[in-house]
Order: sequence, then structure tokens, then C-alpha cells
Amino acid sequence: MRRQKAMDQEVYRFPRSRLGALIERLARDYRVVGPVRRGAEHAWADVGPGAELALDYPTTMLPPRQFFAPPRELLFRFRRGADGRYTCHEPEAERPVALLGVHGCDLTGLRVLRSFHESSCRDRVVTGRLDRAFILGLACWAPCTAEAFCRDMASLESEAPAALYAWDLGDVLLVKVLTARGREVLQDVTALEAATSDEQVALRHRLRVRHEAFPSHLRFPPDRLAVALEAAADDLLWEATADRCLSCGRCNLVCPTCTCFDVGDEGTLDGAAAVRFRRWTGCQVPGFSKVAGGRDFRPTRAQQLRYRVVRKGKYMPERYGMVGCTGCGRCIAHCPTHISIREIFRQVGGGGGAGAAA
Amino acid sequence: MPQVSMIPAPCRVLEALPQNAHDVRFVVEAPPLPAAAFAPEPGQFVMASLPGIGEAPFCVSALPGEGTAPGTFELLIRRTGRLTNLLTRLRPGETMYVRGPYGRRVDWERFEGASLIVMAGGLGLAPLRAFVRRALLRRDAFRRIDVMVGARSPDELLFKDELAAWKARRDDVHVRLIVDAAREGWGGRIGVITTLLDNFEGEVDGSHAFLCGPPVMYRHCLKRLLALGLYEGHLWLTLERRMRCGIGLCGNCQVSGHYLCQEGPLFSYRELRQLREAV
Ligand SMILES: Cc1cc2nc3c(=O)[nH]c(=O)nc-3n(C[C@H](O)[C@H](O)[C@H](O)COP(=O)(O)OP(=O)(O)OC[C@H]3O[C@@H](n4cnc5c(N)ncnc54)[C@H](O)[C@@H]3O)c2cc1C
Ligand code: SF4
Ligand code: SF4
Repeated sequence: MRRQKAMDQEVYRFPRSRLGALIERLARDYRVVGPVRRGAEHAWADVGPGAELALDYPTTMLPPRQFFAPPRELLFRFRRGADGRYTCHEPEAERPVALLGVHGCDLTGLRVLRSFHESSCRDRVVTGRLDRAFILGLACWAPCTAEAFCRDMASLESEAPAALYAWDLGDVLLVKVLTARGREVLQDVTALEAATSDEQVALRHRLRVRHEAFPSHLRFPPDRLAVALEAAADDLLWEATADRCLSCGRCNLVCPTCTCFDVGDEGTLDGAAAVRFRRWTGCQVPGFSKVAGGRDFRPTRAQQLRYRVVRKGKYMPERYGMVGCTGCGRCIAHCPTHISIREIFRQVGGGGGAGAAA
Repeated sequence: MPQVSMIPAPCRVLEALPQNAHDVRFVVEAPPLPAAAFAPEPGQFVMASLPGIGEAPFCVSALPGEGTAPGTFELLIRRTGRLTNLLTRLRPGETMYVRGPYGRRVDWERFEGASLIVMAGGLGLAPLRAFVRRALLRRDAFRRIDVMVGARSPDELLFKDELAAWKARRDDVHVRLIVDAAREGWGGRIGVITTLLDNFEGEVDGSHAFLCGPPVMYRHCLKRLLALGLYEGHLWLTLERRMRCGIGLCGNCQVSGHYLCQEGPLFSYRELRQLREAV
């Protein structure tokens, strides 16, 4: 169904040789970032002369959320006036960002980020950045990493919130227009030529092959996670897995849907000026659940690990309407002891086929 | 959906009244916002800060115009660390930076016509004082009011003058104090706060109880009150969690996916029972 629908909408040819022109066009209005090779890895970085866009990249360590909720962000500056009182000054909005080549898992991650920030209260800073961004989505042909399970989490075929969505066929990319803004930009750099019938056939073929390339690890749909996790709340699995956890917090930092932060101040010695900033933290970081007096409300690693997993699979869908795990596999790949949320999901979901009782 | 900001307003300290070696009661000018914007309810809190030092949550201990001058409110701040060390040194005329109020606004009509049981341990009297003041201000709306206050020692008792004033109201409000330990000269009771529930003479049927204090107190008081027959939905507790933003974003205060800064910190035991790792 979905594969056919791709062709019903506006899909245009985009010669690979026009990527430079696209970057130039976007650079007029945006800070243009994309996957860039860094030694053996790829990372999201500004693209341009000397930093080539590498569209054949595997999942980066840090997700695109770094451009919407940065690892460390100035909230405002305090300035002391003549009367000794401080006034607060928020930073000016920075240039909007254009993200090139975002995979389905990270497109989903951006939607989760929005669903959270639009829920109980609106973080106008984060949603504002999402509103102003220009996103070029990119289809994957094979799992990026051995840890990825995007197909299980139904994020492989995500296209929103992209303005344009591309299938890379080598010399040519087929690009689907998803927003008016996307059309406008595409029109500026190409002649909006329809895909040839050969290209359409090639795309259908690759989509069929792709389906086989992504193994199914879970064999149950993600919307069954909430029930499965609730049923497994007191499972020994948590302790068994958490015995390996070092509480290093990497799993939080690399996750596209983690949003927790800490707030801190810094000031000049003379007290004339100060800043208040926020920076990433997470539920696996020691002390996260401590309060004054030193009491900890989730003192054991097992409780902390369970919290992270249950938040992704149950609390987030219940509260924000979207499962909090995109299946990107980052937390598995970057865990020093290889603790796997995919394996936990598989175990709580029961190894059986779809519909098996939890 | 409201747009949010973490920008505080400068607020002048009008009075700084040390209660003991580490607790200071502050009378503070309300943030110079549109007056209606700063209308805290009992159980709500503000974020108070000093530029370059940091910010932390503090319960509103007396609400504007409820036993205070209009346009002022009170905080009770205990010195426990870096920020509170400096906050508790503020003198009248100096400035603290405040935003809020935040937290759940409890509909007071649900308490009307009921008896109230207030149990405060240590610093717990800071937020519960706002409840007692509200109740005494509308005394006719409630039946019997019991206030039980526990502290480590007589020196540690907060708001001593006010406790005496409440006591002087006799049958209006039944005030009982207890301390863990005392030197000679303390004529009152010694023991843990739950012993005040032995031979409890107050009303249980249909009454609401408000608890705030150290975590150990909750478990014991809850058990006793439930055993006395109090309804779970009428047992109100204030929870403490680290809070960095106060507006449902930073995630530090999450319990089972619930953001306490918005949905609490006041909860009924009936609500809390559903939440893992809450008490
Ligand atoms: C809703 C709410 C209402 C509150 N109301 C009041 C009130 O009315 N009055 C009042 O005095 N206090 C109140 N508090 C507590 C107050 O916010 C804290 O005491 C304050 O944050 C301490 O800040 P600080 O910088 O002085 O101390 P910090 O330097 O942050 O630390 C103080 C103590 O907290 C513990 N602690 C803090 N962070 C950590 C960590 N990361 N790891 C381990 N231990 C840690 C330590 O044991 C330390 O001794 C309230 C808290 C909440 C959540
Ligand atoms: S990355 Fe692994 S070891 Fe580190 S906190 Fe997360 S689960 Fe634990
Ligand atoms: S929980 Fe792990 S696999 Fe899921 S989105 Fe976060 S980092 Fe990716």
C-alpha cells in the first residue's frame, strides 16, 4: 500500500550533481547541516566546502535533537543595572537549521520531540526551532547498524516532518514533495522533472528488496509494549540486566527522544553578569532521582533501568501519543556493556508471534 | 497552551526572620507582574534564585492577602547547600529572583464542610501553614480542625508565635506539638508524631488529612490514618522531587511518567497508589 502511495504524490528527479546547488540554495536561509565523515564515524555537522555531505552514512552517535534542544543551551543572561538589580535577557533566535538526509528513525525522533514539547506546556524555544527547520528526509536501503530495529518500531518508513523526502538511486535521487516550502526550494534548484518509468520501476524494486533487508526482531507491534511492560514490571529481568549497567548515562545522551535537562548558573566574580543555562541529563545519571537530604527515590540500578525503558514504551505513548523509542539502536550501540532495549522489549513481549499473550 | 518562560522577576525581601540556626522565614514582595498572575494556592511552590548561584523550588508558606499584606507572600528557607546558604543570608531590602507559582491548584470546595487533620513534620509545616491559614480564614466552612506538629527539638519548631496564636484560638483549632527529644523546660510531649494519633479525639469520618514531612513520616502516618478509617482519596501528601524547571520540561521530578511539578507536588494517597516509586 505504502510503497504504491509513494508514487501517487509529487515525485521528481533530482540529479545527484544538483546536491551542491541545493546546499547553496538552503544556505541563503538556513544553517545547513548533514551527516559528515569524521574519521571512521559520521556526525551531524555544517556542510559546505571542506565538509562534504555523506548521504551514505550509518546512524550518527548524537541524534539531530542536538539542533533543537542542544546539549548545553543558554536560557538567558542576567545583567546588573545601576540599582543593583538584575534584568534577564534571552538570546536572539539563531539561524534556522536545514537538516539534509535524515533517516526514518530520526524523523520519527523529531516528531516525538515535538509531541513532548507540545504536551503539558509548550517549550517555545524547541518547538520554534522545529517549526522553522527545513528537513530533507532520506530512505534507508539496509539497516544502518546491527543494533537498529526501526522496522519493528514502525519508524523505517516515516517521512514527516520532512519537507522533501528522497530515495537515493545513485546518479539520481527521487524526491517527494511533502510541504509547500519543500516544493519552493526544490523548484529553485531543479526543473521539477517527473521520474522516468525506468526510475519508477527501479524504486519499486528497491523498496521490495529493502523490505527483506530489515529483519524483524520483535514480532509484535510497538503499541503492545505498554501492556507488556506493565505486566513485566516486577520481572527479575530488570535486575538481571541492570547488574551490567555502569550508570554512565550514555544511553540517555544518545537517544533521540530523551528530553531531560539540568539547570545551572555561572557568574563573573564581581557579580556584574551571570548566565543561566540548561544541559542534558538523564534518568540513568547517578543522583538524578535524589532530593535534598540525599534520599533517592529510584535508588537501585534495576529501578533506574526499568524507568528508562518503561518511559519509552509506556509512559510516553500514554502521555504524548507516540512511542518513545524509534528503534535507532543508538543506546545499544553505545552502551559500554551492550545493554539492549531491543532485547528487553523482545523478552517482555514474549518471543512468540504477533498477538502472543504478554 | 500557554507559552512558558523560565525568566524570574526580582522580588524585594521585606523581612528576614531567623527561626533557629538554619531556617529563615522570609516576607517577600510578590513579583511585579499583573497582580492576578501571582495568585498561589496552598500547596503550590515558586522557583527562587540568585543570579550566578542557582535556583530551587520552595513552597509558598503564606499566600498574598491571607494573613499577610496584599502583594506579599512568605517562604521558609532551610540552609542545606550552596543556594540556600546564600538565600538564607538575604537581608530586608535585598532581592531574590522568583517565578511561579507552579504546581497543582487544588479545588478548595472539595474540602468544605469537612474536618481537617494537618500533620506536619519539621520543614513540612512550611507548606501546610498556608493550608491552616486558609482554613482559619474561612473557619465557618469547616468542621473540626486538628493541627499536629512534630520537630526534632523545641528549638527546631517553626513559626512558634503563630503556633501559639493558633493555640490561643482554643476550640477553633486543636493544636498539638511533639518533639523527638528535649532538654529540661519543655513542658510538652516527647515522641514521634504518630503518637499524637493515639486516642485521637478528632473526627475521622469524611475528614481530609494533609501530610508533609520527612519521607519516614509518610509511611507511618499513612498507616495510622488508614487504620483510623480515613478514606484514601482524602489523604493528601506533598512529595519532594528535584525540580529544575517547575514547568513540566526538565524531567527531574518524574514519577511513573507524571511530572510532579505540574500534577503535584500535592497528591491524594489514592492517586499516588497507582504510581510506582512514589512514596
Ligand atoms: C516542591 C518542593 C518544595 C520545597 N519547599 C521547600 C521549602 O519550602 N523550604 C525549603 O527550605 N526547602 C524546600 N524544598 C527543598 C529545596 O528546594 C532544597 O533544599 C534546595 O534545592 C537545596 O538547594 P541548595 O543549592 O541549597 O542545596 P544543594 O547544594 O543542591 O544540596 C542540598 C542537599 O541536597 C542533596 N542533594 C542535592 N542535589 C544532590 C545530588 N545531585 N546528589 C546528591 N545529593 C544531592 C544533598 O544531600 C545536599 O546536602 C522544596 C523542594 C521541593 C521539590
Ligand atoms: S549506556 Fe549502558 S551502562 Fe551506561 S547507563 Fe545506559 S544502560 Fe547503563
Ligand atoms: S531508546 Fe535506544 S533505540 Fe530507542 S530511540 Fe532511544 S536510543 Fe534509539
